[in-house]
Amino acid sequence: MSLEGFEVAVVGAGPAGSAAAITLAREGVQVLLLERGTFPGSKNVFGGRIYSYALRRLLGERWKEAPIERFVRKEGITFMTGDSAFSIEYEAKELELSFTATRARFDKWLAEQAEKAGAQLVNEVRVDDLITENGQVKGIIAGQDRISTDAVVACDGTTAGLARKAGLLNMLEPHEVSMGMKDVVELPAGTIEERFGLEAGEGAAHVFVGACTQGLRGGGFLYTNKESVALGLVVGADDVSIRKVPSHSLMEKLKAHPKVQRLLRGGRTVEYNAHMIPEAGPGMLTRPYTGGMLVAGDAAGHLLNNGYTFRGVDMAIGAGIAAAETILEARRRKDYSAGSLRTYERRLRDDPSLRDMYTFRGVPSYLRNRRLYDTYPELICAAAEAVYRVDGTGKRKIYKELRAQTKGRVSTLRLIRDLLSGARTF
Amino acid sequence: MTEPEKQMSLDRRLSLVSFSKDPEPFIVVEKELCNRCEAKPCLYICPAQVYTWTDQLNYNTEGCLETGACLVVCHKIGAKAIEWKYPAGGRGASFKQG
Repeated sequence: MSLEGFEVAVVGAGPAGSAAAITLAREGVQVLLLERGTFPGSKNVFGGRIYSYALRRLLGERWKEAPIERFVRKEGITFMTGDSAFSIEYEAKELELSFTATRARFDKWLAEQAEKAGAQLVNEVRVDDLITENGQVKGIIAGQDRISTDAVVACDGTTAGLARKAGLLNMLEPHEVSMGMKDVVELPAGTIEERFGLEAGEGAAHVFVGACTQGLRGGGFLYTNKESVALGLVVGADDVSIRKVPSHSLMEKLKAHPKVQRLLRGGRTVEYNAHMIPEAGPGMLTRPYTGGMLVAGDAAGHLLNNGYTFRGVDMAIGAGIAAAETILEARRRKDYSAGSLRTYERRLRDDPSLRDMYTFRGVPSYLRNRRLYDTYPELICAAAEAVYRVDGTGKRKIYKELRAQTKGRVSTLRLIRDLLSGARTF
Repeated sequence: MTEPEKQMSLDRRLSLVSFSKDPEPFIVVEKELCNRCEAKPCLYICPAQVYTWTDQLNYNTEGCLETGACLVVCHKIGAKAIEWKYPAGGRGASFKQG
C-alpha cells in the first residue's frame, strides 16, 4: 500500500486519534491513522468508564451504537481499613450520562467510524521519529518508511514519545504519573445485577480509598461490565518507588479485602493489564503544539482526576476534535506553522468540557496530602464503628464520639486546614 | 471466590495476557549503572515485575505490559540506566479487556 498523498498523519488510534481522524476525514482531508497494536484498543487500558457527552458530540445520535457494557446507575466510594469499610452510594437519576466499556472493543469500534468517514487505518506500525525541517514537523518515520504530511497529530499515549522528540517535554516527573493496574473478573450478568443491586443493563462504579494503598497516594476502583467486573488500583509512581512497595502487591491487597472478596466471590480472573496515567494535567507539555504537529490525549496530559471523577476518554475525544478543528483552520490558511496552530491551546481552554482540566489544576498537589490515604479513611471507619457499635458499655453522643476519634490521629487545626483547602480545591 | 483466585500470583496473572515476542530487544539496560543505584525504583514501579535483583539487575521483557513507567522512575529517581521504547508494531502485549 502506498503511504503517500496523505495530508495528515494521526499517530495512535485511541480515542484522541480516532476523534481527530473522524473530524478531519469528514471534511475531506486525506488522513492516515496509524496504530502500533494488531488492532486499535489492543494496547489500551483504562479503568472502565466513558462519559457519553463526548461521544455524542463526535457522532450525534449514532453514539449509542458504541460497544457499551453497562450504563452507570450507581456511584460509590468506600473508605477502608484492613478489616472495615465505610461506603457511600449515589443512584444517578439519569442513566445514560456514562457507561462502562472495554478498550479492545470500544477503540476498535471508534477507529472503524474513522475508516467509515474516509480515514486510512494502518495497524502494526510503530512510529519511531518525526521528519523535521527547520524546526517544523513535516511527517513521520516508521521503520524504513518516511511519510511526508502537512501535519501530524500525536496521540501516542502517556510516554509521549513524539512530544519528547519535538522538544515539548523533557521527561515526566514520577509525581506526575501514576501506575494503574486492573484485573478483569468474569461473573454472570445476573450475579452482577443481584450483587450490586442493579436492573438489567445498569452498572456500578466504585472507588476505594485507604488500606488498599497502604497509605500511598492512590486508590482502588471497580466498574461492572456486562459479564465481568473490572477491579483495579492506581498508585503514585513516586510513592511506590520511594517507599519501595511493589505496585502489583497493592493490587493483591485490594483484592484480598473482605468487602472486595464478597463482591467478586465465584468470579474467574480473565485478564490482568496496566497503564501509566498522566496526572500533571494540561501543563504536562510546555505547549501542546509545535510547527506541523499537535499533541492530544494522554500524550498531552488531557486527563482529569479530580479525586472523585476520573476522566480520560472524554477529554481525549474533546482534545482530538479540537486538534482536528485547528488543522482544518490551518488548512484553509495553508499555513501549518506553530504560529498558525497556536489557536489549539485556546480551543482547549474555551471548550466547556476541557476547561474542567484547568478548573481543577490545583487538585494534583492537594492529592499529595498523605492523610487522605491513611489518617482520614481510618478516622472515618473508626468514627462509624464508634457510632454504630452497641456493646452495652455505654454510648457517647455523636459529636463527642467524633471528637474523641480524632485524638491522636490529627490535630484539630490540621483537620480544619485540610477541609478548607479541600473545599477550595474541589 | 475460590481460594486459588484469592491468592493469584503475578505469574498466573501475566499468563492471562497474550504476548507476541519482539525479536529485537526493546528494553536495554546499562546494568553497570544499576550496581551504583541506591533507589532501584524499577523493582517497585513495574506492575509486571520485569525487573528483579539477584546480585545484579535482571530483566525479562517478555511480561512487559508497556506502561513505560520504568523509564520515568529510572531517569528521575534511579541511575538513568534504562533505555526503553515500545516493541515493534504488532509485537508485545495484546489486551482483550483493557
